[in-house]
Amino acid sequence: MLRAMVKRALKRDDDTVLITKTLLRLNQKESSKSRSNLVDDEALEWLKPRTLLKPDEQEDVPEAELDEEVGRFLTTINPQWVADEVAYHYGQGKFVKKPKPSFGKAYPLYIYQGTAIRKDSEEAKAQIAAGYGMVGFDDAGPKKVKVKKSAAEEEEEEEPEPEAPPPEEAKHEEEVLEEEKPVETVEEQEAHPVEEEHEEAAEAEEVIEEAAPEEHVEGHEEEVIAIKPRVKKLANQFNFCERAALTYNLPRRSVETQTVPPPRATYGATVLQCIIFDFYQEDYARKQREKEEEKPKRLRKKARKHAKSAQQIHDEQLAQRIREAWTILERLVNQNIYDDIAQDYRYWDDPSDEFREGMGSLLPLWKFQFEPMRSHAVCDVQWNPHYQDLFAVAYGSLDFTQQQKQGCLCLYSIKNPAYPEYAVITESPVICLDVFKETPYLICVGLYDGNVCVYNAQLTLESSYQYKSDSVRDKHSNIVWEIRWGARLIDGEASFFSISGDGRVVQWAVMPGELQATTIITLRTDLPPLPGPDGTLLTVNSCGSCICFHPEKADIFMVGTEDGMIYTCSLKYNRNYVRSVQGHHMPVYRIHYNYFNNSIYASCSGDWRVKIWEDGRDEPLFMFELGSPVGDVKWAPYSSTVFAACTADGKVYVFDLNVNKYRPICVQAVVSKKTKKLTRIDFNPILPIVVCGDTKGTCHVVKLSPNLRVMCKPPKKAQGIEQRTLQIMKLDKLLSLVRDPPFQTGVVDEKFEDD
Amino acid sequence: MANEAEETVRKLSTHRGVLGVIVVNGEGIPIKTTLDNHVSVQYAGLMSALVDKAKSVVRDLDPTNDLTFLRIRSKKSEVMVAPDKDFILIVVQSPLE
Repeated sequence: MLRAMVKRALKRDDDTVLITKTLLRLNQKESSKSRSNLVDDEALEWLKPRTLLKPDEQEDVPEAELDEEVGRFLTTINPQWVADEVAYHYGQGKFVKKPKPSFGKAYPLYIYQGTAIRKDSEEAKAQIAAGYGMVGFDDAGPKKVKVKKSAAEEEEEEEPEPEAPPPEEAKHEEEVLEEEKPVETVEEQEAHPVEEEHEEAAEAEEVIEEAAPEEHVEGHEEEVIAIKPRVKKLANQFNFCERAALTYNLPRRSVETQTVPPPRATYGATVLQCIIFDFYQEDYARKQREKEEEKPKRLRKKARKHAKSAQQIHDEQLAQRIREAWTILERLVNQNIYDDIAQDYRYWDDPSDEFREGMGSLLPLWKFQFEPMRSHAVCDVQWNPHYQDLFAVAYGSLDFTQQQKQGCLCLYSIKNPAYPEYAVITESPVICLDVFKETPYLICVGLYDGNVCVYNAQLTLESSYQYKSDSVRDKHSNIVWEIRWGARLIDGEASFFSISGDGRVVQWAVMPGELQATTIITLRTDLPPLPGPDGTLLTVNSCGSCICFHPEKADIFMVGTEDGMIYTCSLKYNRNYVRSVQGHHMPVYRIHYNYFNNSIYASCSGDWRVKIWEDGRDEPLFMFELGSPVGDVKWAPYSSTVFAACTADGKVYVFDLNVNKYRPICVQAVVSKKTKKLTRIDFNPILPIVVCGDTKGTCHVVKLSPNLRVMCKPPKKAQGIEQRTLQIMKLDKLLSLVRDPPFQTGVVDEKFEDD
Repeated sequence: MANEAEETVRKLSTHRGVLGVIVVNGEGIPIKTTLDNHVSVQYAGLMSALVDKAKSVVRDLDPTNDLTFLRIRSKKSEVMVAPDKDFILIVVQSPLE
């Protein structure tokens, strides 16, 4: 509005410059002043719709007239003022001319108090003293022109403007400004070379000359200062500093970085059921381990003490796996090599048996040899009671003039004829062995030097024997001829008995870590004591050569000696024999009880004979002469009347008393009699095969032909009878034919009771 | 252990009809052999692949099952393989007539 008014007021003057100048200033003021009003208007806009209400009697004015601008003038001269106005003065009683009011007959429409104070007033002086009005440095270093402008503005503002400035004044001012401008440009040009040192002096001067007219100050500055210092304005009640600062808007910039991409690889795999399964197993194992770790530390520590490191366990397992793999590969190779024999041993029977009435034959199967033991003799051979394919062999020497220094204990399996499954070299030739029935990997051996040992076949070969007799205190002073496991002791320890050429029977208790020896009996002879070289009398013991335990009565055993005697002894009596029989005239090599009748036993001897005895009878029931020293005799486990013997001329004799009471039903030379002798023989407990050892370290496994293993046929009346009962009946029937005079049963028992 | 392995290899190779024994480690490299080098390498490479395949056949039919041994009978010879995750033992034997 104001703008429009000014426009109209100034229209007549053609001085456009002035108009624009004024308008500019008005603009500035208006923009700052009316902001709040605008906001109010805008806020009220929503209250009522802007519809103009026209009174009915309003005159209609054409649009053109309405748009026409009507000029109005605002002057300082009051048009209503009458110059010569008089008024009646009641005090003087006359008309008096009215004095001209100071501002005429004007009505103040708008009063604006200025903010300036006079420089020479008290207040200003005090402020100057306090530091106001001093010249400061504007460190931002404003440009010259700008500074000039602001200075000009300051001037204008400082001038009191109670009323709108009259056009003349404004015009005058404009002229002044225009006059100044060229001066200032000169000022700028001059300002550059001025030294800085002058500045402080200039400040002081300026303070003093502050009261002086502005133009003079400026002129003075022109000479001195390069950068025009800003003069702090004197403060009064209105001149206060309102400061606002706008923080810099930090320039935005986008920075991008790119990380190195992680390495990529294409992976492809087929998911198989087994792989999934493996992962589940792995996961399960891990969880178990975690569970284990959750246990309290105390428990874990204990476990850790015993636990081996993972690497160790892995190594051991690997070694074991390799060993097993090798074993099986060896078996495979052997299976290929001995395929025909493997077939024969199971399924082939000699068809010619049908035509040879009562006579049988032996089918040679495998030969077992251990290369380092070629010159040794097989001194004992025994099938394992638990594994039907496994047998133990004791390598020693029976050539006493050229005795070997070493012996060997071997375990052979018929599945692997080329090499023993287990072989351990002993310090002295092994003469006898026995496999423990309860734990078939424990084998006790008797050595040539009189020692006895227990070997554990489960241990590695390096550890050698598990137990050995004390060479100084306990051992026999002669060859250990036979060794047999006995019943467990009262304390539960296993024990075995050995008989030696020194005439002692010793019981060895297997204590933890050692063998405890107890002499059971010393075999005395009937010979009178012999006079020694220095006059002493020496009692000569008879040399034991074999021992055999009663199958049922654990304390009864029989001992054969080198002078041919067979003594029946008891563990309970260490001085007397229960019974003694002059069985043979040469060393007794073996006494063996029948599997079906406990009172029947067989013995063989170097006097070429095999005898079948009955307990309590001084004369044998049967006697067979084989024409050569008989190394071994064994009853068959499958028949009560069959036994086999091997002789030094390399032959195996098989007898079946039920078939022929006088002659063997099979005589077969297994080895050449010129070079080898047969030493020991053993029936396999299950399979129809026999192993026999010779003096050249070879074990021969032969198969019994069908005629040699004839089983009993149950009589028609009693079909359901077991084979064992039939076998017993068969033997009893046979014995009843042989016995003469009638035999009194239980002789042994009665004798005991007498004692 | 080393002696034992040595001994076993020697023992096996003295069996009748055995043409060669090869011990292959987990990476399929023959570490002990009684055959010519190139033959053993060939055996090792081919057998590793065959063993893997055979194993996957057995495992896939029943994940709890596993391959233990492998015998390959051919006109001229028989190859016996003992596969394990850490080694493969191979024995070549010519069947006896």
